[in-house]
Amino acid sequence: MSDAMTANPVQTRKTASPVARLVGSWLPPAVTFVIVAVLWQVVALNNPYVLPTLESVGNSMASDPHMYWANMLVTCQEIVIGAGAGILFGFLLAVAMSELPIIEKAVMPLIVVIMVTPVVAIAPALVVAFGFGMLPKYIVTGLVVFFPMLVNSLAGLRDVDQKALDVFKTLHASRWETFRDLRLPGCMPFVFAGLRIAMPLAVVGAAVAEFVAAGQQAGLGSLVTISAAQANLPVTWASIALLCLLGVVLVSLLALLRKRVLWWSDADVIGR
Amino acid sequence: MQVSNITKSFGPDEARVTVLNGVSLTIRKGEFVSLIGPSGCGKSTLLKVVAGLSDADGGSVSINGKSVAEAARRKAIGLVPQSPALLPWRTILDNVSLPIKINPAANAGRTLRDPKEILTSFGLGKAMDRYPAQLSGGMQQRAAIARAFVFDPDILLMDEPFSALDEMNRDQQRMGLLDFWQSNQKSVLFVTHSVPEAIMLSDRIVLMAAHPGRIAEIIDVDLPRPRNEALYATDAFRDLEGYVRNALRKVMEAAHV
Repeated sequence: MSDAMTANPVQTRKTASPVARLVGSWLPPAVTFVIVAVLWQVVALNNPYVLPTLESVGNSMASDPHMYWANMLVTCQEIVIGAGAGILFGFLLAVAMSELPIIEKAVMPLIVVIMVTPVVAIAPALVVAFGFGMLPKYIVTGLVVFFPMLVNSLAGLRDVDQKALDVFKTLHASRWETFRDLRLPGCMPFVFAGLRIAMPLAVVGAAVAEFVAAGQQAGLGSLVTISAAQANLPVTWASIALLCLLGVVLVSLLALLRKRVLWWSDADVIGR
Repeated sequence: MQVSNITKSFGPDEARVTVLNGVSLTIRKGEFVSLIGPSGCGKSTLLKVVAGLSDADGGSVSINGKSVAEAARRKAIGLVPQSPALLPWRTILDNVSLPIKINPAANAGRTLRDPKEILTSFGLGKAMDRYPAQLSGGMQQRAAIARAFVFDPDILLMDEPFSALDEMNRDQQRMGLLDFWQSNQKSVLFVTHSVPEAIMLSDRIVLMAAHPGRIAEIIDVDLPRPRNEALYATDAFRDLEGYVRNALRKVMEAAHV
């Protein structure tokens, strides 16, 4: 703030110290979490067959970390391979559709038909077709993220700045040059919007895949179904907590990546 | 550049609107020509046809004796659109260097300009490493003009480049363009809504009429060059401004009858 402005009492505003701001942004959600935890404990202590106590969940994780770790790795593997392939394929198909509209006309109706079919219903059929290995799980996880990636990427590739496109046309830019220098970087805000939807869905997809296409009986989703069937509530809830953690980590990593790649799309980050 | 007998219409058969009707115009090498006229007179459409962004129904355009398609292939056309249309993920320097990087096959045999030098002469020397969002609207538009000059095209097409700016900024950018153009005389076709702008910059003003879009009158601006702000206050400028405004009014009244 300039001297002229601070000298004027009307213009002066107390700006919060960094510590105060940190407290201000962390304290309200922290209070919410504490209240929920207390309520949880009250319910758990009075109804041991409905909810496990928080310390029993924690004890379960601490007593057998290796088991949880191994199952989490299986779920991670499904997410990395399955969702990774779904994201990549969704994006590449969007590129193909935006460059060759005939592909969109030919393929989009089929994709819509597949997408309105519940994944949960397809999964058992996939197990029959592809066996009890990891493949059906990759496919289910991939299917779930594929559609939001495709639709968002396609919207982004189409949302090109028309005036900039005119400049490229008068320069007789090749299709590749227009894609590399204009469409590809320009569609990134939409791609990241798609990823923001796809990332939590990837965790859902992996868990659902393990429920329905059980097969090898590994992964956090399988752990949930098996332990629930045995009424082993601490294990059930520990697995759910880890699935939740996985989602939070994925979304946070994505936010970090977005900041690196898309700094130019947030005007307030650059500052005017 | 030569435009002969361009005709263009839009819309379905029964509601077809003729946007350009037999428009012919020649721009000499190094000449600054403005297109002015009421909205709907087809001045932006004419610019699009000359830029090769839109096809005419009839007539022809040739740039240095070549078709528009051939001219585009040789990067002979520099376009300054209505909005700066800079790429937000590239620095100003990288934005201005873009036309040199794109279609490099057409770079042979021309005098490309140093992007840094051209930015400096546009008063953007300190802004080279900044991103478009960090610059004011006027500076962005200046960068867009520098981008059109940098690859030494045969003709520059400017579609109301200052229309989004406020009046004071607009005048500043206008004088900046005037200064730069007077020391780098290129053929320019400049679409504008502003009579003083057209007079200050141009060698000739092409007055267009609407319904159908056609050339109503071509007005020579025989004011001495180099010009500067002092010209606004001269009698010669005011007389010509009065004349152009009057001609514009007649064209608009005729359209309402």
